[in-house]
Amino acid sequence: MKKILIPIVIFYFLVLAQTSFLVHFSILGVVPNISLILAVFWNFIEKTKNYFGLYNAFLVGFFLDVFSQRFFGFYILGLLAMAIFLKFIIRKYVQIPFVEKN
Amino acid sequence: MANKKKIITFVFGLLLIVFLLNVFQKEVRGFFYWFSSPIQKVLWRIGDKSAGFFKSIVSADNLKKENSELKQKNQKLLAEIVKLKELEKENNILREALGAGLQKEFNLILTEIISKDVSQDYILIDKGFKEGILENKPVINQENVLVGRISDVYNNFSKVILISNKKVSFDTKIYAEGKPAESEQEEDISGLASGQGGSKISFGFVPREKNLTQGDIVITSVLGGIFPKGLLVGTIGKIEKSDLEPFQEAEIQPFFDIKSSTFLFIVSDF
Repeated sequence: MKKILIPIVIFYFLVLAQTSFLVHFSILGVVPNISLILAVFWNFIEKTKNYFGLYNAFLVGFFLDVFSQRFFGFYILGLLAMAIFLKFIIRKYVQIPFVEKN
Repeated sequence: MANKKKIITFVFGLLLIVFLLNVFQKEVRGFFYWFSSPIQKVLWRIGDKSAGFFKSIVSADNLKKENSELKQKNQKLLAEIVKLKELEKENNILREALGAGLQKEFNLILTEIISKDVSQDYILIDKGFKEGILENKPVINQENVLVGRISDVYNNFSKVILISNKKVSFDTKIYAEGKPAESEQEEDISGLASGQGGSKISFGFVPREKNLTQGDIVITSVLGGIFPKGLLVGTIGKIEKSDLEPFQEAEIQPFFDIKSSTFLFIVSDF
């Protein structure tokens, strides 16, 4: 249960900070999307047989969709597709020393 | 086979969730905005203050130079105020003589920014349908600078599409410094301001023969009808002129800066 609830709280506050706080700190006119980077990073380092990264990608996508003007699903589907693609690529072609494959 | 079934169920379930979220998007978004707005307001204010603090440290070297430039500009503006006050007096006398009433002031509703869209030029404000906000109403700041217009209204919140959004374009004209363009028919330069995304605006459809210069002030014109006339938009930046093209184009450096604003006004009637 904790494993399900903690990411909800973390990503919710990260997206809130992204839309209300980090907006004020742009680097060359661009504000890095921390929650999105975190979701990608999680899927990158996670063992390929684990699917917790997909859940995180869904959560980040959901909160980004809530606080954006785009249609619902833009970030959810985009991030999930990215997570699945990343897992597929890592499983098939990439060998990272500190990440176990199976 | 069982794996295939799992994948199909997952995809189908996901699409169903996305579909339902889109059907009930107003309710879902409204709930989250209501739930999050107190935290977001605090975060926005902290961000605004701390960004201002860091900016002042970074730009400390330029302060002296900027200060002397501002002093010069201030003197110039003071002279202009005196001139305009004289014109106002004259204007009032003429109005009385003609029996014409003063132009109706805007009805303004004060609102606070809650958040900004992460990828597009939209902001969320804390006034909505319950406060009588309607779609397409202009949004300005305290300096009469045009910020955008209402695009979506929720019960307690509204989304504002900024004038720098790619979906926004409106009629503008150049305000000749010191005197309004209306007084000089020949020098009246009108053009179409179009949002380019990322806080950028372009000024297009200006005939090539018109004398456009950097630093010219762009204001809204009465032609479009979407925004009240005379609202400040920005200053002319880089100009692109070609002998082959019938029109010239320029960048507009917008006056509004969402990052340093907390309160805005909705023009409910104009």
